[in-house]
Amino acid sequence: MTFIGLVVHNLTTRRFRTALTAVAVAISVTAVVTLDVVTRSLQSSAAAVLSLGHADFIVAQTAVADVLTSSVTQDQVSRIAATTGVKSAVGVLVSAIHLNATNPLFIQIGVDPRELPAFGVHVVAGHAYSVHASHQIMLGWEAAQNLHKHVGSTLKIGTITYDVVGIYTINQTFGDTAAMFPLVTLQANTRKPGTVTLAAVKVARGASVQAVENRIERDNPDLAAVRLATQFGRVDRNLEFLDAAQHGAEIIALIIGVIVVMNTMLLSFVERIREFGVLRAVGWSRARLLSLVMGEALVISLLGAAAGVGLSFAVTTALERFSSLRGVLAAQFSTSVFWTALYTAIAIGVLAALYPSARAAVLRPGVALRRE
Amino acid sequence: MSVPPATAPPGTPTAEGRRSEPVVEAVDVEVAYGPVRALDGATLAVHDGEWVAVAGPSGSGKSTLLQLFAALDQPTAGEIRFRGEDLTRRRHLDHYRRNDIGLVFQLHNLLPHLDARRNVEIAMFGTHRTRSARRRDAEDLLSRVRLEEQADRKPPEMSGGERQRVAIARALANRPTVLLADEPTGSLDPESVANVVDVFRRLHRSEGLTIVMVTHDADVASAADRVVTLEKGRIAVPS
Repeated sequence: MTFIGLVVHNLTTRRFRTALTAVAVAISVTAVVTLDVVTRSLQSSAAAVLSLGHADFIVAQTAVADVLTSSVTQDQVSRIAATTGVKSAVGVLVSAIHLNATNPLFIQIGVDPRELPAFGVHVVAGHAYSVHASHQIMLGWEAAQNLHKHVGSTLKIGTITYDVVGIYTINQTFGDTAAMFPLVTLQANTRKPGTVTLAAVKVARGASVQAVENRIERDNPDLAAVRLATQFGRVDRNLEFLDAAQHGAEIIALIIGVIVVMNTMLLSFVERIREFGVLRAVGWSRARLLSLVMGEALVISLLGAAAGVGLSFAVTTALERFSSLRGVLAAQFSTSVFWTALYTAIAIGVLAALYPSARAAVLRPGVALRRE
Repeated sequence: MSVPPATAPPGTPTAEGRRSEPVVEAVDVEVAYGPVRALDGATLAVHDGEWVAVAGPSGSGKSTLLQLFAALDQPTAGEIRFRGEDLTRRRHLDHYRRNDIGLVFQLHNLLPHLDARRNVEIAMFGTHRTRSARRRDAEDLLSRVRLEEQADRKPPEMSGGERQRVAIARALANRPTVLLADEPTGSLDPESVANVVDVFRRLHRSEGLTIVMVTHDADVASAADRVVTLEKGRIAVPS
């Protein structure tokens, strides 16, 4: 029998307690992993606006709660377009509207039809809307598919019925699941005349993206240039709050997990005091006894991690079906999720086993053997 | 596996005419549990190859003395020596417990979820033996206590006498110098008592193992070379 064999044997002998402890670990892992996956997914959905128009970066109002509330004047967009090193700057108005139960957050994008090529829009059916058309829209091909619409159909958004004059692709899910309006029409509908949400900026060949970003921010102190998802908090404070809430909830889940698992392990420790006394009496060192208890905790942690990832997958799949999260939550289980589960489970197992294993190690064998 | 034979019969005078140095020795030891004195100045020396039975009434301190020899507890005063070294001054006693002594309890103290072979093997962890060597040695020890057929059985599936013989095999796992037994026949039927005493007798006679055995059974004590009696925490009748 090997030492690892003894660890596994001890756990399989006490199947019920092992399963119970692993479930406690798994619940904490599920909470942490689900929060992580959901938050990342929400962040990635929110940050999808970054890739609009395949720009080198976007410019939006700094420090607003939600990027969709950002307000950039068209004069500012013109100034940005005139900045040294800028190839093009397209002003885009973005808003979300409740279309129906299956599309609770339907994205509307307002772009001047003359800037559609610069924005990377390809009309694949029908034609583009005209500059001042108040009842014409184009649908992204995915939106058209989801809504069962085609060129010539009508679509009621709010109180207005629009003619679908074209189907477009922008080769990016965020844009292709949206509807595109003439900029002035969407500005009128949303009561934001003369303003856009952001400017999608492309940099001239040979110019430094960073230098152009710095130049724009220096000339427009109320605007921020954002290139990466990690910088997105600069123009969307909600993401920062979401991040903070996620970390807070993860820490609480971890603490609860440690307390529950430690409680189970302490019960096990009390039951096994005599066994530990025997092992010390036959010459086991404190370190070996500590390794035994820690080894058992680690194996339980691994079981909990595996179960936790499975549970988390089930929970997020269920969450994705909630109508209020449809289209917003698209959970992805990347490799980092498995590492998160493993770290969490090991942290819970080790922290929870520290006290019981230390108590086992410092037990005086004579005292332990006298325990009934 | 072989246990080295005793270097000399008990109490054999050395070339210088002195008796050999004791293997284990209690020197004026006291153990107090609050106002109760379990041992009160007990002194006992056990020599190489000797079989000593410690007898005495309940509460006289027999088991306490044995626990001190086994380094399971510390005396309040006095010294416990192994080959002349005071164990109370040692910080780590794991090596002593693992390699120098073997311990048999009254209630066997086997781990119920492990079979007989694994119960013996468990005492061999930390001795740098390979897995296969541990298994081979455990089987050899079980055959020495005539339990080779019971190696795969767990303690709840064995009789009291068989469990105690597994406990003896475990105590011999690391070729100890001294076998310490605390009431090893205390909970056994007469036939099992005879079997266990027979095992002790063989280990003592053929392998020269030093044995310190606590017992309240006069018949069992009579199998030893020497019987000492404890009364009120002191050695009363050294034989």
